[in-house]
Amino acid sequence: MPIVIRLDEVMERRNMSLTELSQAIDITLANLSILKTGKARAVRFSTLEAICKTLDCQPGDILAFNDESDD
Amino acid sequence: MLEKDRLIKTSRFVVRTGFIVNRLFLAAVALGLLLSWIFSSQLATLLIQQNAGTNARSEMTGFRLMMVLGIVMSVVIDRLFVALTQIIETARAGDPFIPANALRLQTIGWALLALQLLNIPAALIERFFPSMGMGAPDSAFSAAGWMAVLMVFVLSRVFAAGSAMRDELEGTV
Repeated sequence: MPIVIRLDEVMERRNMSLTELSQAIDITLANLSILKTGKARAVRFSTLEAICKTLDCQPGDILAFNDESDD
Repeated sequence: MLEKDRLIKTSRFVVRTGFIVNRLFLAAVALGLLLSWIFSSQLATLLIQQNAGTNARSEMTGFRLMMVLGIVMSVVIDRLFVALTQIIETARAGDPFIPANALRLQTIGWALLALQLLNIPAALIERFFPSMGMGAPDSAFSAAGWMAVLMVFVLSRVFAAGSAMRDELEGTV
C-alpha cells in the first residue's frame, strides 16, 4: 500500500508499548495493531489526533506516502 | 437494548409460527386437492345434498382452482418467511446491514407483489364460479398490500446503501 505507517518508529522513540498507547488513547489493542501493521483501510482524524497528542508528534511522523508506481 | 431483544425474540417466534402453520396449510391443501379427485363422486354427492340446485361439477372445479391458487400462494409465502427468518437472524446477531439482506428484502418484495397479483386469478375464480358462493376466494383490492410492496423494495435499496456504507467503514481505525 502506498501509505506507510511508521507508528512503531515513533513509539520506540517515546519508549512506549502498543498496550500502553492503546490504554492512553482508548483505542483497542486489536485496532491499533491493525493500524501498526498497515492493514487499516482508513484512519479517523480523532484517532490521529489522539496518537499525536500522546506521542507528541505530527501526523507526518506516523504517515508517509511511498508511490511505488512506475510513472 | 432489552426492548430491541424482546422485539427480535417476538418477531422470531411469530415468523417461525407462521412458517410452520403455512407449511401445514400447504400440505393440507395439497392433500385436499388430491382427495378431491380420488373421492370426486362422493364430493359431488355431498355438494348436491347441501344445495340441490347447485352445479356440482362447476363448484368442484372452482374449489380445485381455489386450492391450486392456495398452493401457489402458500409457496410464495414460504419463500417470504424463509427470507424474513434469515433477516431476523442477522438482526439477532447484531449485523443486519449486509448485502445478503438487501437481496432478501428484494425477495420479500417480489413475494408480496406476487401475492397482490394472485388476486387477479382469485377474482376470476369468483367471477366464473358463482356457485361457490361464500366459498369463493377474497379478491378485494388492497391499497395497504400495494404500499407494502413499494415500501419493501425501497427498504431493500436502503439496506443495499447501508451495507455499502458499512463496508466502507470496515477496517477504519
